[in-house]
Amino acid sequence: MVDRIEIVGIGRTCAKERWTRGLVDLAVEAAGAALDDGGGVSPSAVIVSNALGGALGDQQNLGTFTASHIGLGKVETHSVSSDEASGGAALRLASALVGAGMHEAVLVVGAEKTSDALPDELESVRANGLDATREAGFGFGPAVASGLGMQRYVAQHGIDRSLFYHLASTAHLHGARNPFAFLPWELSFDQYIHSPVLADPLTVCDLAPNCDGGAAVLIRKGSERSSSSVNILGSASVSAPTGISEPIISLSLGAAAHCATLALRDAGLSIGDLSFLDLHDSSSFIAALSIEAVGLAKPGEALLLAKDGHFRFDGPAPLWTFGGLKARGNAPGADGLYQVVEATLQLRGDAGKSQIDGADRAFVQCLGSFGATAVAHVLG
Amino acid sequence: MHFARSWRQQSSNLRLVGSRCASCDAIFFPERIRCTGCGSSELKDYRLSGRGTISTVTRVFEAPRGFESQVPYFAALVELEEGPIICAMLTDVDQEDVSVGKKVSMVTRRILAHGDDGPIIYAYKFTPELEG
Repeated sequence: MVDRIEIVGIGRTCAKERWTRGLVDLAVEAAGAALDDGGGVSPSAVIVSNALGGALGDQQNLGTFTASHIGLGKVETHSVSSDEASGGAALRLASALVGAGMHEAVLVVGAEKTSDALPDELESVRANGLDATREAGFGFGPAVASGLGMQRYVAQHGIDRSLFYHLASTAHLHGARNPFAFLPWELSFDQYIHSPVLADPLTVCDLAPNCDGGAAVLIRKGSERSSSSVNILGSASVSAPTGISEPIISLSLGAAAHCATLALRDAGLSIGDLSFLDLHDSSSFIAALSIEAVGLAKPGEALLLAKDGHFRFDGPAPLWTFGGLKARGNAPGADGLYQVVEATLQLRGDAGKSQIDGADRAFVQCLGSFGATAVAHVLG
Repeated sequence: MHFARSWRQQSSNLRLVGSRCASCDAIFFPERIRCTGCGSSELKDYRLSGRGTISTVTRVFEAPRGFESQVPYFAALVELEEGPIICAMLTDVDQEDVSVGKKVSMVTRRILAHGDDGPIIYAYKFTPELEG
């Protein structure tokens, strides 16, 4: 990263079903909180990420509408959509605007409104994040893709499918401490193993729940680093050929692995320097491959490490310290920014019951289109 | 799947027509306008055999809108003889016929219908090849 980018304000909404809030309301609520937290820093540009709004018949051109509804007149606005990687992509673009000297401060907002849609409508629209013609058009959605992946993961690595429980239970263990989480409770093995099958062997408990949500980050060109400031130390974004077959057949996420390498190199750090991480966990399958992609586990060993408590808040590599998508909830267009907001709380020492002692370096990565888009940020 | 989109994809949906690069011989399904291997734009229609093997398969109990009436259905990745891997439902199949490595071949079936009065979309599914 050429210039230091400082995170001066953060905001988030509860990741719940917010019946009284619409899509723009969620963006405005999160944006307002980030501005209030920003110590008077006024942005001259607003970038808003959203994945599903247009397809669900909701507000389009969300950047301009959000800026208008929070009272920011005559600013540059953009709207970004990259499936579940939208939030990370928006932050990376905002950083480029600041880094290039085009703006002193930029407000980045992510929002998603899923609870207005009926479940089958939502699943149908979510499926178009995959190949709309050759996958979604033939009855393949995110759950089917991850079900296929779990089948192959279990067969190739010779493990029992019940081991996937330990990924979901780690996320729920941490989500139970997060008052903003959609599902703030611990997950028992009995609940997991008896939950309804969606696409064998994937069950309801292997899939992150859709929720409403908004998250926002106010960034500016960094001044001299103080002990209390949180900065973007590095970032990267990488795409890979689309299609669910490659991750399933290879049992790996090539874009996520390369993106992690680039972001850590950009920050001048290695995986061992990190205090905690947040990786994409839209399903148990994607969570396992994400862990292996960034080098936290060898192929086929993510579940065993999870079983051993490796990714718990008190383990050597804490993951999903606010519950991840699995317990905090999946608001696709805002996912990447929830990660950054939560990581900033950790780095500030303001994470409350979720606080990791001595947290000073964080890695967050969000993925879109079953891993074909990857965006990572290193914070510290 | 929109009606116009389905019309545009008739040859791929009904006859499994993909593309073959005239420059490097790479074969694609679905069809491509530009070769992702060598960058050539000289691609010709190429009809695939419709024979392949199951790479992995799942049984689906909760489907996206339009596919509910077919639940539970088998969704598979099928590796075609020519190399491309295709996402497709299995049809005319019993649980005991479904396994990784099983040889399957293409048949044309109804994929989904848009209500009682809307268009019916036909395209490929796969079924186990007869033994012997």
